[in-house]
Amino acid sequence: MNRILFKIAVPAVFILLSLCIASIAAAKQEVYFYNWSEYLPEEVIRQFTKETGIKVIYTTYDSNEAMYAKIRLLDGKGYDLVVPSGYFVNKMGREGLLREIDKSRLNNFKNLDAQHTDRPFDPGNRYSIPYLWGSTGIIVNSAEIDPETVRSWADLWKPEFKGKVLLLNDVRDVFFMSLRVLGLSGNTTNPDEIQQAYDKLVQLMPNVRLFNSDTPRVPYITGEVSIGQIWNGEAFMAAEENEKFVYIYPTEGAILWMDNLVIPKRAENVDNAHALIDFLLRPDIARAICEEIGYASPNREAVKLLDKDIRNNRTIYPTKEDLAGADFQVDIGEAIVIYESWWEKLKTGR
Amino acid sequence: MTEKSLFKTATIGLTGAWLGFFVLIPNVMILATSFLQRDEAAFVRLDFTLENYRRILDPVYLQVFGHSAAMALVATMVCLALGYPFAYALARTRPGLRHLLLLLVIIPFWTNSLIRTYAIRSLLATQGVLNKLLLFTGIIDEPLRLLYTGTAVTIGLVYILFPFMVLPLFAVIEKLDTRLLEASADLGAGRFQTFVRVIIPLTMPGIIAGGLLVFLPALGMFYVSDLLGGAKDLLIGNFIKNQFLDARDWPFGAAASVTMTLIMALMLIAYFFSIRKIGKKEIR
Repeated sequence: MNRILFKIAVPAVFILLSLCIASIAAAKQEVYFYNWSEYLPEEVIRQFTKETGIKVIYTTYDSNEAMYAKIRLLDGKGYDLVVPSGYFVNKMGREGLLREIDKSRLNNFKNLDAQHTDRPFDPGNRYSIPYLWGSTGIIVNSAEIDPETVRSWADLWKPEFKGKVLLLNDVRDVFFMSLRVLGLSGNTTNPDEIQQAYDKLVQLMPNVRLFNSDTPRVPYITGEVSIGQIWNGEAFMAAEENEKFVYIYPTEGAILWMDNLVIPKRAENVDNAHALIDFLLRPDIARAICEEIGYASPNREAVKLLDKDIRNNRTIYPTKEDLAGADFQVDIGEAIVIYESWWEKLKTGR
Repeated sequence: MTEKSLFKTATIGLTGAWLGFFVLIPNVMILATSFLQRDEAAFVRLDFTLENYRRILDPVYLQVFGHSAAMALVATMVCLALGYPFAYALARTRPGLRHLLLLLVIIPFWTNSLIRTYAIRSLLATQGVLNKLLLFTGIIDEPLRLLYTGTAVTIGLVYILFPFMVLPLFAVIEKLDTRLLEASADLGAGRFQTFVRVIIPLTMPGIIAGGLLVFLPALGMFYVSDLLGGAKDLLIGNFIKNQFLDARDWPFGAAASVTMTLIMALMLIAYFFSIRKIGKKEIR
């Protein structure tokens, strides 16, 4: 018996010891970055590590909800840098999940365009630094559908698009669209209005082929669907692959969002997180991110450096007219439960 | 001797601790959560309520359960229809070939089912392998829209769960006493009558076991519905995942999970009773 124990125990102790030593040695120079999938070029991470010696442990999520659930569960520990959308910055800040950002350590904060700082969801940028912003609009495969005939969200309801429409797998994006078609606020918490939006969506369901929020451009590129919702960055990447894809700002108003860098309350590598934020705010880096990912940079100096084609690309940088009626999503609190129950019903009630 | 018993205690203790820690405690936590209330900030609030179970009886959610059960049932039936003749043929082939065929049934298990689901996706896609083949051979003129339909979900569920149907069926059919079949023929039963009145009752334990092994997992395989069905056909698994992740309504998700466990438990109990009944009949 003792021999067996010995045989098991000795290696186990060694493994544990070496794990401890490894983690102590590594703890000095790393930063845990939790970001949306396909939201940062690998090259940027490599360059950061090369310049600073700080190792980036990079993991991704595909919805604010998934990210929030994890941060909440870990009580603001475990990650040093996270990228929630504006309405989640608001929520997380209010719930004490975020750490104040020391802007005196961010030499590049001044590069940000003033129209993107000091937003209502985080006055004075106490907790958050703008990373990228973008919109949810309509993408059309012009080889199959004449983009001139598509102007509004309501056009998705046309009977000729039966089985050809993709919607994002996101309850807020889908209901926002329906509410706007009805002329209501996309951020409503009124149960009657939410139900009206549901009734309207039921009429859309025969057209809906699938819900996807993972890499929504793929079903368009592989020809499964020809029209539907998409984020502008994904539309940009689809158009890079094939010019037949056209991005349209619906007349009822596109859905806008801003994603922001925040430091969770109990992050362990706060200095490195600040270093990484400052690095991401550098004009040349912000420019590289924008050109690769296809979302708009809130960084004024970076926009100046952009390739002319990119800066004048309306998919990424919409004109004032494009954004007529467009609105940011805001936190809706407990009303999410009402949305969610209609959402479940929408997906099964046929 | 003492070493042996110590070893025994240690292994049983370890297994027991493992099960207690990773099975019992999480399940007790889920059970407890299902009686609490949702809280926007802390996920759950320590207030006892039966509201979550009442909400499951809401027509909206009963529909989710009903739809999921219907999808799982269709998958089970297809598995049975395909699996029964296959298992029968398998049990009747010569041993060498039989082992090879069994191996072929099991080999796909060695690959993660998520990856196999992605593979099915590229088979069924509009510009996928199947459509290209059918177009090339001139069987169809226009690509079939297979992916992101209920059919695709059924195909995925059947494909992934097929071995769970075949293996229990094979086990009972292999043990089938051929003398009983001869007796049936001697007593004047035709092939059809022998099949319906002798073979099916004798293989019923395998049919029920296979059915349960397909039906129960089919309720929960949310990634099949997400990847092949375009997230339109909600299975109970999707529903639970949505409650935990998107709606952040843990108590409700927990109640749904407990309900599903209860349904499974009831079906397993029914299974044991039916087995006992069948066993008694045999003796008589």
